[in-house]
Amino acid sequence: MSSNHVVNSIFSEFQKSLDSEQELREVIRQICKEIDQISREVTTVLQVIHHSDAGILPACQKARELFEKANEGYQRLKTAVPARDFYKYHDHWRFTTQRYCFLISLTIWLETGILATHETVASILGVSAIEEKEGFHLDIEDYLVGLLHLCSELSRLAVNSVTRGDYEKPLQISKFVMELNAGFRLLNLKNDHLRKRFDALKYDVKKIEEVVYDLSIRGLLAKNEEA
Amino acid sequence: MLSIPSGFSFYILINLINFFGIMSGRGRHRGYRQRNNHTLSKVAKETANSLPADSPVLAMFKDIAVKLTDRQDRHERLVKLSRDITIESKRIIFLLHSAITTESSEKAVKEANERLDKLIKGPIKNIGIELENSPAYLHSRAVTAGFQEYIEARTFCSIMESKVIISWPEVQKEFTYVIKNEDSERSLVTMLPQIDYMLGLADLTGELMRKAINSISSGDSHECFSACQFVRDLYTGYLGLFGMGKELARKMTTTRNNVDKVEAAVYALRVRGGEAPPLLLIQSKPEWEREHSDDEGFY
Repeated sequence: MSSNHVVNSIFSEFQKSLDSEQELREVIRQICKEIDQISREVTTVLQVIHHSDAGILPACQKARELFEKANEGYQRLKTAVPARDFYKYHDHWRFTTQRYCFLISLTIWLETGILATHETVASILGVSAIEEKEGFHLDIEDYLVGLLHLCSELSRLAVNSVTRGDYEKPLQISKFVMELNAGFRLLNLKNDHLRKRFDALKYDVKKIEEVVYDLSIRGLLAKNEEA
Repeated sequence: MLSIPSGFSFYILINLINFFGIMSGRGRHRGYRQRNNHTLSKVAKETANSLPADSPVLAMFKDIAVKLTDRQDRHERLVKLSRDITIESKRIIFLLHSAITTESSEKAVKEANERLDKLIKGPIKNIGIELENSPAYLHSRAVTAGFQEYIEARTFCSIMESKVIISWPEVQKEFTYVIKNEDSERSLVTMLPQIDYMLGLADLTGELMRKAINSISSGDSHECFSACQFVRDLYTGYLGLFGMGKELARKMTTTRNNVDKVEAAVYALRVRGGEAPPLLLIQSKPEWEREHSDDEGFY
């Protein structure tokens, strides 16, 4: 029957695309796994900032080297993912990319004390920062989630730098995070994951402010204020 | 002193003061307030005051805010278009069901085709325009419902018209447009994901089941058998798929129910067809039929 034939061909065509999609996903998954491993390595390397002042810059250097490796991984990912289908497979690398945004912005903050822009992070990963119809890029929401991670990590760093006797860093962190907080308030966030993550930012802000308050009340900041 | 150039930074200031003001009022630090002018709220205020309102960071966030709002607005517009498509497609399906005789069904098919064409030239084209410069899959969730319903109507119409199911590439071809400006011409394609086509096709089994049962009541047993065979063919196809994905798997239960219903109806037609008036057959329910969900509105 002719109708039967048409139905059969519809399904066999669909099965074919299902199969090739599966294959592609396998390739992507493999690359993402490698990128993810590197990101975990960077995370471990950067943990030193919480207990050793002297270790910070070498850790940043090591992180930079690892970012280059990650960059290579992203290049392979870029070629593997069809230009049109970025968001079809986005879930595979979403969380890893968010972590990279965090790690890169942390490294840059440790090095220079400024905020890494969306473009900077994208260029370190070797991808575009512009969302276009086609092409691999750094999703803006992923970048923002990465910044929120950064704030949590900095709130921890504020506590730990006081323990180390560094009373200046919490002030610097406080200013930086306050500014980010002000920035995030400019955004119209929907009730999505980014919103939820942003809602947690106030706890980081609070933690940092408490540290600064403790320092100021004990006169530990006095020297800076006079200077 | 602080200058407040925009209403916004003032808002932040108030918020922060409130936020930390509450906290400083309780706890062990309370006694310090008079003696020492350092309170938590004051510390927070100082930090907030020291923020330059026109810093590059805030400028960057303003930029991002525009992008995010754009994205959300586009999403909302697409959801709306998708809903328009869904409503009209449902009406087209209803129209096709309403035809009983051959002549009236020809007329219905003609009208349905015209209305489908209007959908292609209207909302579906607008989806293409909305997505012309943005990644289609970013918003695929906004439009999938409309596409599925459209496919259901489109394939149903093609079966009524020529007994053949229109294929995915053929439908996709219909979504290609040429946009003429005064001096230039560009082509535009509304991307139809294959998965949406297959999901719509799964819904088609429900419509075919209704049609089969309707055609019993109109006494057209040939129509009934052919619709039944279509449902079987489709179901067979879905059974053979491997790794079909979550959404499609979820539809399989309904598809299976549709097959059961239509086969029970055909059974009744065959066994009791000679002895009962057609209308009775619809009400007859085979003994082995269990309780069904009433989502299809039959039984």
